[in-house]
Amino acid sequence: MKECYLGVDIGSISTKGVIIDNNNKIITSAYIWTEGNPVEAVRKLLNILKDKLPKQYQVKGIGTTGSARKLIGLMLKACIVKNEITAHAIGTLTFYPNVRTILEIGGQDSKIILIKNGIITNYAMNTLCAAGTGSFLSSQAKRLGIKVEDFGDYALKSKNPVKIAARCTVFAESDLVHKSQVGYAKEDIIAGLCKSVVLNYLNNVGKGKKIVGPIIFQGGVSKNKGVVKYFKEILKEDIIVDENSHLMGAIGIAVLARRNKTGHTYSLELKNVKFITKAFECHRCPNTCELLKIYRNDELVDSWGSKCGKY
Amino acid sequence: MRVGIPRSLFYYYYGDIWKNFFDSLNISYIESPKTNQEIIDRGIKMANDEMCLSLKNYLGHIDYLKDKCDYILVPRISNFKNSNQTCTNFWAAYDIVKNLFPVNILHYNIDLEKGQTLKKGLYKIGKELNKNHHEIYKAYKYAITREKKRIKKNHIINLNKLKVNKTKILIVGHPYNLYDEMIGKDIIKYLIKNNIEVIYSDKFDSKITNPLSKKLSKDLYFKYSKDNLGSIIYCKNNIDGVIFISAFPCAPDSLANELAMRKLQIPHLNLVIDDSTSFTGLETRLESFLDMLGGSLND
Repeated sequence: MKECYLGVDIGSISTKGVIIDNNNKIITSAYIWTEGNPVEAVRKLLNILKDKLPKQYQVKGIGTTGSARKLIGLMLKACIVKNEITAHAIGTLTFYPNVRTILEIGGQDSKIILIKNGIITNYAMNTLCAAGTGSFLSSQAKRLGIKVEDFGDYALKSKNPVKIAARCTVFAESDLVHKSQVGYAKEDIIAGLCKSVVLNYLNNVGKGKKIVGPIIFQGGVSKNKGVVKYFKEILKEDIIVDENSHLMGAIGIAVLARRNKTGHTYSLELKNVKFITKAFECHRCPNTCELLKIYRNDELVDSWGSKCGKY
Repeated sequence: MRVGIPRSLFYYYYGDIWKNFFDSLNISYIESPKTNQEIIDRGIKMANDEMCLSLKNYLGHIDYLKDKCDYILVPRISNFKNSNQTCTNFWAAYDIVKNLFPVNILHYNIDLEKGQTLKKGLYKIGKELNKNHHEIYKAYKYAITREKKRIKKNHIINLNKLKVNKTKILIVGHPYNLYDEMIGKDIIKYLIKNNIEVIYSDKFDSKITNPLSKKLSKDLYFKYSKDNLGSIIYCKNNIDGVIFISAFPCAPDSLANELAMRKLQIPHLNLVIDDSTSFTGLETRLESFLDMLGGSLND
């Protein structure tokens, strides 16, 4: 039996799973939409992976990352649960040891990681505002009646991108509505949108940071050719988009799972695992914390959200 | 007769002076409880939407106290001379409270450019509460001696922390944000749980830190920005990273944060807090920051 490790990255928009072997080679992977239900998404994901995984492999470690990492970590009894910044950095460094800058735009957050000699020296993440991230692009795609996957192709067709406010998505959206109502072509608007995502990112997340090559661009939005084009244009540097760029977080957490293996063998079969969450509001004190209780096979495994630590 | 002291904003700078002063004068006082969700909600109801979270919070504390005491201590603190201004919210707090709440306000004005010192401020309070000159002087002396001791003690505690052999993080921010139950407390709890030595910017003696800020910029305007930036310069060689905590949308802090982030080569994390109830986003940022400092990313 050969050993392998599963990394699951549960983002707000998409859920990614990767299985690697002892040499960090990808054996199989899957990418599906989260659709607001991380638990169901992971059930689906594991079903897909289970069918794709050759029979001679045994899962010796599971790691979770992404915004639902804690929840899914409990569900899968993961051996490591880590934030997505760390996971992305490790995943990228595994394939590109010389990388200096990682740009990442995901579904609801965006980050920049600066690396020198294989060591992270600085990073930044968007603060309160989720402007210019994947979820904004998806909602605008819906408004324009286009699949978000086709955004890049439209943007590349444009010779004349319209100017769209780059500071705030609320203003960006009113610009967008206005421009389409006065008759600008769809591709010019989409190209303008892609450009505003880049400007927004550089103004909000990349501010004050020295961006040096080699630069790697990842996260779901890196699949958008329009955004890549404008990053190249504005930074005047080559931008590397790995074919697995959307999987880097999952790869990173799989690498971490390999490093943290406990010897336990995991099954990818979840049919018999009952996993439910119950939410309620505590009224013992004026804080009225929103609490979440998590049950695995009817056994309370954790509860979150209490300020006082009673639960 | 009872004086109400809101546990917010100024409390974290002058609370000890006030309490000692009142103790010495035998005046009873009530402090509002530690901030909780209900107090924040009450504050938001009273506040204008553009006020910062800390000021909303302050109004919540006043609202809590309004029918529990005869006076509420609401200072106006404007400047400390030599272009050491305070935030305009500090100037305005008195008028805002006066216009929003039907309460008796205990007047207390600090404006060093106009000769309104801490001593004069305390005398004003004493007189309003019908105490004689002798009693007030005694109480003032008592409060001020204790305050000097407190500042000295805190400074030494901080210096000792810098010698500890652990990952050390300087938490920079206004004390009314750092120590507030609903703003900074969870962040500090998280750091301590992860075995970090936490050093607080406000616990350094501002007489030492304040002038140091000139090294970053000579045009700084706000006293507390200067104190905060000075504290980073003061210990920058002895710490592993800086976490800058500010409340949304604090303008002086946003400037101070950029200055520190761009000009000083120290790992830096900026956390902007609003009345969002979820800790998840903060946790992601804190965890990755600690990963970076600890070097746990590398094999």
